[in-house]
Amino acid sequence: MITAEETRQAGTTESSGVAHRDAEVAELELSAARTRRRVLRMLQANPAGHVGGALSVIEILVALYRRAMRFGPDRVTDPQRDRFLLSAGHKALAQYAVLAEVGVVDDPVLDTYGRTGSALPGHPDLHKLPGIEANTGALGHGLPIGCGMALGARLRGYRSRVYVVLGDGELPEGSNWEAAAIAAHHRLDTLTAFVDVNGLQISGPTAQVLGMESIAAKFAAFGWAVVEIDGNDVAAVCDVLDRLPLSAGRPTAVIARTVKGKGLPGLEGTVASHYWKPTPEQLHAAIAAADAAVARAAARVQEVAR
Amino acid sequence: MSGGLQDPRKTFGAAVAAVAESDPRVVVLSADSGGSSGLGEFAAKHPDRYLEFGIAEHGATGAASGLATMGLVPVFCAIAPFVTCRNFEAFRNDVGYMRQNVKIVGRNGGFTYADLGATHHSLEDYTLIGMIPGVVVLAPQDPAEIRGAVRAMIAHDGPVYMRIGNDPLPQIFEDDSFTIGEARQLRHGGDLTVVSAGYMTPRVLEAVDAVAGEVDVDLLGLGTVVPLDEEAILASARRTGHVLTVEEHYLRGGLGGAVCELLAGVDGVIVERLGVPHDYVPSGRYSELCARFGLDVAGIARRIRQAARRGGPRDELGSRRTPITAAAGD
Ligand SMILES: Cc1ncc(C[n+]2csc(CCOP(=O)(O)OP(=O)(O)O)c2C)c(N)n1
Repeated sequence: MITAEETRQAGTTESSGVAHRDAEVAELELSAARTRRRVLRMLQANPAGHVGGALSVIEILVALYRRAMRFGPDRVTDPQRDRFLLSAGHKALAQYAVLAEVGVVDDPVLDTYGRTGSALPGHPDLHKLPGIEANTGALGHGLPIGCGMALGARLRGYRSRVYVVLGDGELPEGSNWEAAAIAAHHRLDTLTAFVDVNGLQISGPTAQVLGMESIAAKFAAFGWAVVEIDGNDVAAVCDVLDRLPLSAGRPTAVIARTVKGKGLPGLEGTVASHYWKPTPEQLHAAIAAADAAVARAAARVQEVAR
Repeated sequence: MSGGLQDPRKTFGAAVAAVAESDPRVVVLSADSGGSSGLGEFAAKHPDRYLEFGIAEHGATGAASGLATMGLVPVFCAIAPFVTCRNFEAFRNDVGYMRQNVKIVGRNGGFTYADLGATHHSLEDYTLIGMIPGVVVLAPQDPAEIRGAVRAMIAHDGPVYMRIGNDPLPQIFEDDSFTIGEARQLRHGGDLTVVSAGYMTPRVLEAVDAVAGEVDVDLLGLGTVVPLDEEAILASARRTGHVLTVEEHYLRGGLGGAVCELLAGVDGVIVERLGVPHDYVPSGRYSELCARFGLDVAGIARRIRQAARRGGPRDELGSRRTPITAAAGD
């Protein structure tokens, strides 16, 4: 996999070929399908968790970890690594799964999910698992920490970039907007925030709970560069990642429209997927669907390669 | 004990709804938390008195203060750390200092949200909120007391914090009367005073009954942590000379700390505390975590026996040093 960073360094441009790009997208889609399957592997160990919001961010995390970030098994403690912060820490299943997908976490660790003292707590703990950068879980903490990391990297002369994933329901927390002002004022263009707009939270549609639209206009008003994409389209996510920062001297907000519970049969776009305790039958059906998705994605990779 | 287990959140929500029927001053605040606090039915029935603030606990706490200045009685319930830690300054200044008639309820207290990890645990709330002058801290002990405490906190003119748990609770009290600041004498005995509060009490009661015949326990059950029923605790401590506090709270501060403060000047009384060591509790299964800290029935019974063996000052075996780790030696 060629990272965006390497593409930039090699001076390669978008004209490097549609076929090459199709192959890469197919590869990332396969990665996303495997990552969703790994989320279910954790549920096989312990059938309860914040599944819906984890499944909506899979493409974003896969594109970040596999295409954009200077990060991997050999860089877990590299001070110059890029940092990923899951501000919506309840989506931890997604991060655990993607860390396994990129080889930072061994797959059998996933089978400890739910056990007392597991390295995979209900919300991430940086003292427990490599690759976790902050102890999120209380919403509204990731962006301020991310500001500090971006400022710190600048002060230390590191090239590290900082990526933060927030939920749309999380946005009313005032700390996010304090951070939005801090990031713009300090011209933190190495900071990128993804807002996972799956449109749902615990009590129902986010628009009814506490509407925050226009999210794009709010970030823009704070001085951020803003782009809106389909967050479940891995190619669209890659397009943005390749263009960062969207505007020199400004932090970037990516408003990602997604589907909560993406890939869960019968539960896509439902509040019920938020904290899911599947019955054995439901889990079985979800696994069958996830396996089929992996097979389809793998076939697509073959097809594109031809 | 009467009846089966009852869900504390549903019990709480139903109690608020019942009081609100006859008290139009009551308004319910939610930070994407109302449905999970047993207030879904209330929201459907009284949409005009159900205010959704989204995930903005600090803002909701300030707004509660503002609502109270208008003569309303705001009841705001969410996961305990988010209505104690996250909003602390609004709690202290806008609710406490302004002495507003606001009722804030932390659910899933202690480490009852076991699997969600330390961000979702609340092991400092008695001390943190108890430190704000003028705030009453309630910890109802069973479903009947939850109902009584809801009525009492709304009737009380002033700021109240109440902690409830997560797991279904047995009803141990016959009626749902509740007097703020009054301990209940649950068992009479001369060997050891045990002081418990909140949803721990049914467990403590079971442990006390399990050791009956070996240790004669004087059991005080507290539905109110602040103000402490000093009279009841002092009287019992003077009788037994030996006190054990039990709580799902950090050993630093908490009920045990308050009892130590109370008894610091009293001659001839030993205080021991059973609670959670001052560290972040790992994510895991609630029952396993309780066992780890000796806060399950077996652990509490063990600690009572230990305390009794160690004895009060009368047999001069006890050191006055208060153990700082939970279930030391267990
Ligand atoms: C400060 C804080 N308040 C409340 C919660 C409880 N909580 C966990 S997830 C959630 C809803 C989150 O909605 P959203 O950010 O949209 O996430 P998604 O729908 O993508 O899962 C809430 C209220 C929390 N974790 N932190």
